[in-house]
Order: sequence, then C-alpha cells, then structure tokens
Amino acid sequence: MASLYSQTRPISYPEGFTLMSHSGIYKDSVYFHYSPSFKYSVGLEIVKDDYFDDEYSYFRFTYLLNRKNTQNSQRNLYFQSGLDPENFDRHFYGLHGDWETRRWFVGFGYKESFNDIEDFSEKYLQFGIAPYLGKYGDLHTWLMFKTKKNSLGDYWSTYPVIKFFKGDFLIELGYNNKTRADAHLMYRF
Amino acid sequence: MRLICLILMFIASVIFAEKNHDSHEHQGHAVHQNDVYVDGKNYKLDKEMFDKFKKNLKDVQVAIINVQGMVCDFCARGIEKAFLKDIDVKKIDVDLENGKIVIAYSLNKKIEFKEIKEKILMNGQNATDYKLMKI
Repeated sequence: MASLYSQTRPISYPEGFTLMSHSGIYKDSVYFHYSPSFKYSVGLEIVKDDYFDDEYSYFRFTYLLNRKNTQNSQRNLYFQSGLDPENFDRHFYGLHGDWETRRWFVGFGYKESFNDIEDFSEKYLQFGIAPYLGKYGDLHTWLMFKTKKNSLGDYWSTYPVIKFFKGDFLIELGYNNKTRADAHLMYRF
Repeated sequence: MRLICLILMFIASVIFAEKNHDSHEHQGHAVHQNDVYVDGKNYKLDKEMFDKFKKNLKDVQVAIINVQGMVCDFCARGIEKAFLKDIDVKKIDVDLENGKIVIAYSLNKKIEFKEIKEKILMNGQNATDYKLMKI
C-alpha cells in the first residue's frame, strides 16, 4: 500500500535528495528520492504493510504536470506512480495537487493501487492555515484539517493535522480515533 | 463532542491568524515607509532583514530580485543553494513577505538578469524584475 503522505513537496529542488518516513494505521514506510530537476523525482519506498501483512518496495516516479506562480501564491498538479520491482502486479498511479499562499493551503489527491489480493483507491482533501507568517529560516507552522477515504476501510475520516518545518526538516502529525496517529517526517539535503 | 472541539479549534485558529495578519499588515506599512531606494525608485523590502544583510558588507553589488511563487521557506531554500554555488556570490537572504531575494555579488561579477532568471526558473519559480545597487 503506497502512501499519500508524499504530497508535501513531492519533488525537491534540482539535484536535491529527500528522506521521508511515515507511520500510519495501514503501513509504515521509508521513502528516499532524488530530483534531477524541479519537474520530477525518482526514488525508492520500502513499505511494511500492516493491512496485507506484507513487506515490499516501490520504485517511484513523480512528475510536475503543471505549476502556476503568482506574486503571492503557487499552484501545483502532480502525477505520481510506483511499481514493485519484484512483483509488477503491485503498482499505483494517481494525481495530487495543491494551491498555497503564505497563509492558506488547499490540497487534494487521488490514487489507484493494484496488487495480487485486492485493488483499492485512496483520496483526500486538506485545508490549512498558517497561524503566523514566519521569516525565512524561522520555525513555520501549519494548522490543517485533512479528510481522507481508503476504499479498504470504506469510510471518510476527518482529523486535525499540525505541521512544523524549519530549514530542511519537516514534521507532520495527525490523529483521529479511527486512523490513530499519522506521523510524517521529512529531511531534504 | 469531538466534532464540536474540532470546529472550535478551527475557528480559534482562523481568528488567531486574522489577528496576526492585521499585525503583519501594520508591520507591512512600517516596511513600506522604509522601502529601499535604488536609482531613485523605491523597492519594497523588509528593512530589518536588509539592514542585517548589509551589516559588515562592503565593496559588493547587491541584486534585489522579485520572485513569483516563493510562498514558503522550502521554495526559497533551493534558490539559495543554487546561487551559493556561484563563487562570486558573497551572501544571500530571502524576504518571504515581499517575495524578494537579496544577493551580494563581488564587484568583478558581470550581473545579467537573464542568468538570474534562468537559475530561479530551474528551481521552479519566476523572477520578474530586479534592481542593482552598490555598497
């Protein structure tokens, strides 16, 4: 089961590396990617799948389909995909997008995943507000709401998320009674 | 009950953010009164950041670049790393509030906006114009 967590800046700056880890109700994973340019990234994700009780990996490819920059905002649309090199039947593809200003954030994602046992889809919507506008190099904070649905669970779950980042380090934490804790760490270099 | 708590938390955060935004608006006016003047034209820039940037700098050319799409710290970090690869770049800082990058170049550097634009475009943002001054 691939994650939706990589919606947070899924492509780094040119020649940048990113290390991410994620822990959630269905899986834990570590994802390492390299961005040759701002347009795409390639990487490897290692997954411990709690739902299917399995361990596997994905070669991943993410491509920036569209970006619109204005003085106060940026809008992005990404294509994402992944393929298990040991089992081609296990793969996924999807779209995710975001629009953000320094104050507001709106994001969405949709993904179809395939495997030998049961195919499934994931979708989410996310809204965020920055309670203060930090300067360059400060600790930045986002207060967010995320609502998501995985067809395996067949219910929407909505929960608050708090995100902090400073320099090249980011941490995102979410919690609700159905999905338990959702933690995401990211470091760029 | 949980839903009510979530809604209250969201409303509280919006109110807090709006108050904070107002205070930033006032700071914005303060900055506006202290715009940087280059060749007789003003250029909106965070004065506190620029004063700190200029400190201990001399015999350099300073380029103030207007950038679109630089909405977060992460967006600007790649730009900083790209420019720091240039040995003629002595110092760089970012004014996120006004969407500006400030770069101190050595005096012997021939600064061309085309080169600056390309570097910023390679990072996924757009440089729209720039001002140059000597310190």
